[in-house]
Amino acid sequence: MIGQGEDKEGQKSIEQAILEYLEALYGYAMSLARNPVEAEDLVQETYLRAIKGARRSMPTGDLKAWLFRILRNIWINQRRRAQGSELLLGIDIEGLESESEWTVKNQQRPDTIFEQGLLRENIRIALESLPEAFREVIVLRCMEGFSYSQIAEILGCPVGTVMSRINRARAELRRRLNKWADGFCGK
Amino acid sequence: MDFVGSRRAVNEHVIYQIPLYVDNELQGDEQRLFEAHINACASCWAALEYERRLILAIHQARPLYATPEGLREKVEQILQNHQPISKRFSSRTRRIFVATTVVLGLMLAWFIARPTHIPLVRPSEFALVAVDTHQRYTRNQLPLEVISSSPEEISTWFAGKLPFNLKLPNYPEDLNQSKPYEIVGARLIGFKHDYAAHVVYRLHNRPISLVVTSETIAQPSGGEKIPWQGLLFHFDVINGWKVLTWSDKGLTYALVSDFEEHGQASCVVCHSGGQDQHKFEGLKFR
Repeated sequence: MIGQGEDKEGQKSIEQAILEYLEALYGYAMSLARNPVEAEDLVQETYLRAIKGARRSMPTGDLKAWLFRILRNIWINQRRRAQGSELLLGIDIEGLESESEWTVKNQQRPDTIFEQGLLRENIRIALESLPEAFREVIVLRCMEGFSYSQIAEILGCPVGTVMSRINRARAELRRRLNKWADGFCGK
Repeated sequence: MDFVGSRRAVNEHVIYQIPLYVDNELQGDEQRLFEAHINACASCWAALEYERRLILAIHQARPLYATPEGLREKVEQILQNHQPISKRFSSRTRRIFVATTVVLGLMLAWFIARPTHIPLVRPSEFALVAVDTHQRYTRNQLPLEVISSSPEEISTWFAGKLPFNLKLPNYPEDLNQSKPYEIVGARLIGFKHDYAAHVVYRLHNRPISLVVTSETIAQPSGGEKIPWQGLLFHFDVINGWKVLTWSDKGLTYALVSDFEEHGQASCVVCHSGGQDQHKFEGLKFR
């Protein structure tokens, strides 16, 4: 059993501290891999690298963001190896409707989806149908509560890119949830 | 902003800022103008409410995926297998290990007790973050968001983005005097759920990072304490980088470099010029 020992100042051991993020890491891994077996492997590999890294030198800054960054790097490298070429996440995001179109629709049909009750399953289905780059920022921001700056560090891109990607991801999610609401209402 | 500009801004729809507002990413004037508009515009208010409820619904849907049974045990096993060596050894081996550790410990104690050695006081979280930021910048993992050699331009870029006001000094002020350093650029970094400023300088082709946050968010601590010119500096060596942290007028600073001794050469970014140069002598090893 990990995590029984605390040091004299009552501080958690590194094992205890990183184990707290197991569920969050698994959720992130699922959002990337969309496959439970791959997600499980990703999480285990993340912990292996994290603990080896921590033995060499203690991580600095935000521990959770550090773990997420490790997981993402493993995922990117695995994908790169599998594809044998340069990897771009969410390359299918082009061609989606622009945000202004969502905005008009939302104003025309306020709160429809909430009136019908937004179930976890509907959110999961809508999220899973999003392009990977969008799904990823929604999970990092709306589920894990990372700031734009922390997301930028995890993704290794400028904050401005994160802002626009989150905007577009939410617009796309709204559209897909509205479609579900339309179906529910039989429209 | 003048009256006309302010009225115009209030009357503009703020649909595009709604996600930023919901995510607490609007600050200062932007936030005030947004709130002024929202209070007067029913359609933007409705869109904001919609966004809030959407975010809440997404957040409440967490976790979307149940962690598989047995994964925790597998991860615990991984962590167990990589415990520090002393926790894994058998009792016989452990006795040998303890004896060796005692000898090494005595050697270490002697090493620490040497008069010239820096006291081993844990560096502050802020110092660690500053070094991490600098390290990642030097490895090209942390691109700058604004590239400029002008302190005024960088100060303007930071305006409204930070929870505090930051005005970069422009030493030497005398235009005829050349700068021994150059400003490369800057970016925002996350620290304790807020933004901090990261400014990169270059001196003799070696990078220097200045990280600034509010004193209410971070106070310097740990390392070797060096009182100098009415301020208390904390000096650490972390992963080979020299870091000086200190607080002054409500802000806390960290200066990271690989310069010699205490890295005091990096202080030139705020105190260049012959008049100030001699002052850094006070930051030398005692």
